[in-house]
Amino acid sequence: MDEKIKSPLIRLEKRSKSALHPAAAWGIRLGSILFALLLGCVAILLSGNNPIKAYATMINGAVGNKVYLQQTVKKAVPLLGCALAIAPCFKMRFWNIGAEGQITAGALAATFVARLLTGKLPSLPLLLLMALAAMLLGGVWGLIPGFFKARWNTNETLFTLMMNYIIIGVVAWLQAGPWEAQQGRIAQFDVSAQLPKVAVVHCGWIIVLALVLFIHVYMRYTKHGYEISVIGDSMRTAQYAGMNVGRIMMRTMFLSGAVSGLVGFIVCAGANHTLAKEIAGGVGFTSITVAWLSQLNAFAMVAISMMLGILTKGADTLQTMMNIPVAISDIITGLLLFCMLGSEFFINYHLILRRRGGKGGRAK
Amino acid sequence: MKKLLALILCLALAAALFAGCSQNTDKPDDTKAPDDAGKTIKVGLICIGDENDLGYTYNFIRGKDGATKALEKKGINVEWMVKWNIPEGDACEDANLELAEAGCQIIFNNSFGFEPYMLKVAPKYPNVQFVACTNKASATDELSNTHNAFAKIYEGRFLAGFVAGMKLQQLIDEGTIKQEEAVIGYVGAFPYEEIKSGYTAYFLGARYACPSVTMKVQFVNDWSNATLESNAASALCDMGCKLISQHADNSTPATMAQSKGAYFTSYNNDMISVAPEACLVGTRIDWTVYFCEAIEAVLEGKEIPQDWCKGLADGAVVLTELNKDIIAPGTEEKLASLEESLKKGEVKVFDTSSFTVKGETLTQAFALDTDGDFVPDKEEAVFDGEFHESYFQSAPYFGIDIDGIELLN
Repeated sequence: MDEKIKSPLIRLEKRSKSALHPAAAWGIRLGSILFALLLGCVAILLSGNNPIKAYATMINGAVGNKVYLQQTVKKAVPLLGCALAIAPCFKMRFWNIGAEGQITAGALAATFVARLLTGKLPSLPLLLLMALAAMLLGGVWGLIPGFFKARWNTNETLFTLMMNYIIIGVVAWLQAGPWEAQQGRIAQFDVSAQLPKVAVVHCGWIIVLALVLFIHVYMRYTKHGYEISVIGDSMRTAQYAGMNVGRIMMRTMFLSGAVSGLVGFIVCAGANHTLAKEIAGGVGFTSITVAWLSQLNAFAMVAISMMLGILTKGADTLQTMMNIPVAISDIITGLLLFCMLGSEFFINYHLILRRRGGKGGRAK
Repeated sequence: MKKLLALILCLALAAALFAGCSQNTDKPDDTKAPDDAGKTIKVGLICIGDENDLGYTYNFIRGKDGATKALEKKGINVEWMVKWNIPEGDACEDANLELAEAGCQIIFNNSFGFEPYMLKVAPKYPNVQFVACTNKASATDELSNTHNAFAKIYEGRFLAGFVAGMKLQQLIDEGTIKQEEAVIGYVGAFPYEEIKSGYTAYFLGARYACPSVTMKVQFVNDWSNATLESNAASALCDMGCKLISQHADNSTPATMAQSKGAYFTSYNNDMISVAPEACLVGTRIDWTVYFCEAIEAVLEGKEIPQDWCKGLADGAVVLTELNKDIIAPGTEEKLASLEESLKKGEVKVFDTSSFTVKGETLTQAFALDTDGDFVPDKEEAVFDGEFHESYFQSAPYFGIDIDGIELLN
């Protein structure tokens, strides 16, 4: 090789799939978390606090006692459920960012049933009907953009996003209009329409854990799951293989919406015990991060959603206990997510540093 | 790569060690404080916004700081734990739980919609006092540790209205506007009793000084939407309103009024700094009074009133500073004497001889709605020639449309 050719200081090279040992990949991921925590120290130091004490407060505030743990789990449940919901869509490379609206739609349907049938049915059938209605409306809310995409190839990102605003608007109208109980709020559900508690947290956690198994099996071991992954890899291949791509898209979007709708049922019957336009509370968007960080792996989602639950709950505590502005906690959360998503880059590529002699070669 | 990994692991180990050590060494510091201070109390405050709203929550923060100072003088050290930007939902339940768990002896919830969530936590912590400001369930919830509180803000509105009326009368007397052009525009959040009571008191105060005044009310159907509020103020000015007032959370109506050449009076906060050429005066609740009373009661083991309501006479409602450059001449003296008369009860805000409903004098009106159909059905509020506002409960219940006020939506 000609010595005079200048090679850049750092070059990137794509790793071949087998080049990186899985343990090393996890090492990089772990390293990225530690790196983010170190960056977070800077933010905490700038706010005039002791970073180690702050991190200890965060952890303690999230899992330190039963009440804290219970709240952390309550935050993680909808995140996990919703990440599971959007996983099939993302696997198909169908960018469903309408989970927020599908959750709201589910909560709306559940509330409708609760208002209609409370007192007329015992608790269990009432809750089952609420869940069913939630899945149906959530599913339909997902199906609509799916149908338009399949039929006229509309842009699903914009379509699903816009659907969010429509349903949130409908709920805003209901809560200030026909369903108003006092000052723009809908009345709290009767006890028979509230999810019972199992081990201090509403039993939504059991439902989402069951969903983890369901989605895992559905994606890995069923024909549907296979079709989804083929479409995700190459739509042409799927068409060539004789798959009805439009139908699969609509089916998957209905499923995704239905699971989101079920999450909507869980948050309104389990946590809020009422419906409000803020019911989804950004879960539909945060769960996208959960799904990506987990590489669409259902089991990894449990860990990641729990981690986000700990972060948000910890950040809350940081604010109350140490008077650290919530914005600082947001910075820490942002740094963590950024570094963790960024670490995937280093798993897929590796850096080649220029050797002193000018010759490019592998570092280490 | 392996070296890097090892390095990271070492760092992690070190960090974990530090975390462990610091936890042990920090604990004594935390427990030392209460011993040498004599009386220390942990108090929780849950806010729907933060001080940046320069309105509703900011006003609570002023109350918090005021109470801290006032109690400090009595040798009481208040340790506040504040939760900011809490939405009216499940998060509010968590906030109450967390504060109770952290050892707060009394927890104030600052927004109306927090109450149902607070009520889910209150039964689990019978030794912690829970307060839902501006709401009313403590009368019926059968819990001894839940309370409500509000102030007689209609008295402050009446006085602010009086200052506005003085200004309009000055404009009439100077020949700047005709009598029938004395129109006030009011930007209201929602058509609820709290807001109706507010603008009616304001209007009656204005008419006390300017008999020919009328008012137009525009609801924005949102507690806090800077753009909508600004647009409503703009539309009201275009309809010929010469003065704007508001019951919503933002200061945009003030700036809009100023840009349209109208005058303004504010709520929750002094807005003279945002609109120096328009803002005459403002009125606000001073939460210091209640915070001090409630916190002291908890410390002394006394009962907190189930439903607390005080007004001008106790300093729970105050006027912000008068904008001396633009108020009508003579306002200060007349205002002071009116304030005295109000405190003594010589002048009543909802004096039934001062207003009519569909041309008739009001002789009967119930105060409380007990069956949730939005129509009051209990407790006669009209007696002794006055509608008794905030008498049967602290949360306002005057929801009657009187003559002279036009609702635009």
